[in-house]
Amino acid sequence: MIVRTIAGLALVFLLLQLVRPKLTNPPATADFEAPADVKEILRKACYACHSNETRLSWFDEIVPAYQLVASDVKRGRMVLNFSELGAQPKARRNAVLFEAVSQIQMGAMPLSRYTRLHPEAVVTPGELAALRDYILPVPPARPTAQLDIEAADAQYRQWIAGASTSHPVQAAPNGIAFLPGYKNWRAISSTDRTDTNTLKMILANDVAIRAIAEHKINPWPNGTVFAKVSWMRQPDENGGIRTGKFEQVAFMIKNSEKYASTAGWGWAQWMGAELKPFGIDANFARECVACHLPLRKNDYVFTAPIAAARGPA
Amino acid sequence: MSILYFSVAATLLALAGCSAPNPRVETRLNANAALTGDIPVDPLQWRVITSGVDPRNSTMFTLFGNDAAIQYSRISTARNYPGGAVLALVTWQQQEDSRWYGGKIPAQLKSVELVDVRASDDGRLLNLYRAYEGSPLRETTRLKSQADGRPTYLFSLRAAVMP
Ligand code: HEC
Ligand code: HEC
Repeated sequence: MIVRTIAGLALVFLLLQLVRPKLTNPPATADFEAPADVKEILRKACYACHSNETRLSWFDEIVPAYQLVASDVKRGRMVLNFSELGAQPKARRNAVLFEAVSQIQMGAMPLSRYTRLHPEAVVTPGELAALRDYILPVPPARPTAQLDIEAADAQYRQWIAGASTSHPVQAAPNGIAFLPGYKNWRAISSTDRTDTNTLKMILANDVAIRAIAEHKINPWPNGTVFAKVSWMRQPDENGGIRTGKFEQVAFMIKNSEKYASTAGWGWAQWMGAELKPFGIDANFARECVACHLPLRKNDYVFTAPIAAARGPA
Repeated sequence: MSILYFSVAATLLALAGCSAPNPRVETRLNANAALTGDIPVDPLQWRVITSGVDPRNSTMFTLFGNDAAIQYSRISTARNYPGGAVLALVTWQQQEDSRWYGGKIPAQLKSVELVDVRASDDGRLLNLYRAYEGSPLRETTRLKSQADGRPTYLFSLRAAVMP
């Protein structure tokens, strides 16, 4: 009886081995170039899933482990492929490296389900420091071109004249409508992003402000809405930086039931003063969720809100 | 059989997901940046006019306005704020965003400067300037500060475009 059960299991196991999604290594057409030590770190920690040079261990080849690895490699290559990064413009390569360091620091990459079986892929503090040093000094505030300053001035004048946006604003591809009231919400933080040469303001609606005052921010209550407004960094005449041209406004709208398929948040973004909806179809939100994923234990929110000084008004 | 055992165990282990908490992603408020101390208003309850950075001092600021100031800043390119307008320039030390390499966020609160535009009985406008420094904030207004040009500086910061 026992022998038969074991034999049966073994047969199922062997048959399972035939169910294999195909995983090939296409040629590495434009491999990412970097100093040897930096390259070595990325190679051992990231290339298994983020390059065309995937090398699997014998135990990765066994179904069902294989199924997991294959799907990670497919998704991993889709979002970031070092074997193709070399062909990208420098700004894009830089942005990827900053994102890579952030993902490592937050413990999101390499995937822990991978490092548990491949401890050699873990990025050590020393290796992390080497990566940080390589991309530092943070690209100095790119001097803003005269054209950008003129564009910012023109945009400002149009906006003051109430003529910057052709109404009505089109909804996002996932059906979320624009929320023009964001500009009257309260500020909960701001960021100075040298990696993207932008200044950002994080604004929040009343539901969020109440949650902050009550220290109930994980999970954020349904009805919470955040707006992230981005402007170009623009140098002033005294060596300071001011908000320049308006770039975009992005929203996260909390509703754990309605938006269950996108981590409990509705995601939407509008570009430029003409407020063009971002994204070709509803799938654009996957990109948003993927980058916010390392914060999933913080309800997918990056911003640590400035604590309220004196409770709700 | 040991391969079967290993593969199943490895898969279960991988699915279990028992990772140590990473302090960078733990839920918290930014308490250092809070506006605590001796200050008559709370600009964080107001709306935003604009923001900026002083890279030499590693500080960043947000300029807030009360309703009268906001209203004016969004419809006029001039800098003649009406009586009743109050502007508040809040300045923080910057620090690296532990959650995003390449980003900097407000850390220790440095100062709050208020400019109160008041209409006198004969209709002239006066700019009442007050400064608060430190965390918690303490009033540090000096008499000469009016002449410092700080009110003019605050007025010069035009509204950030928010379509
Ligand atoms: C076992 C496979 C695997 C390894 C190893 C791995 N990743 Fe990933 N990575 C993924 C997958 C899968 C995704 C897609 C997002 C998701 O579903 O988690 C991803 C997403 C990313 C993203 C993009 C997040 C976004 O915005 O979409 C970055 C950046 C990244 N990984 C960097 C790295 C770096 C840097 C390393 C090495 C230190 C690394 N990864 C190692 C599988 C892996
Ligand atoms: C490459 C990574 C990345 C992608 C992709 C991304 N975000 Fe974010 N998001 C961030 C970071 C980092 C912050 C923290 C603020 C900052 O420094 O910009 C943030 C903050 C936000 C906030 C403020 C609340 C919070 O979490 O702090 C909103 C709203 C937001 N993002 C919306 C979106 C939307 C909508 C999309 C997709 C259209 C998106 N994001 C895609 C990185 C990303």
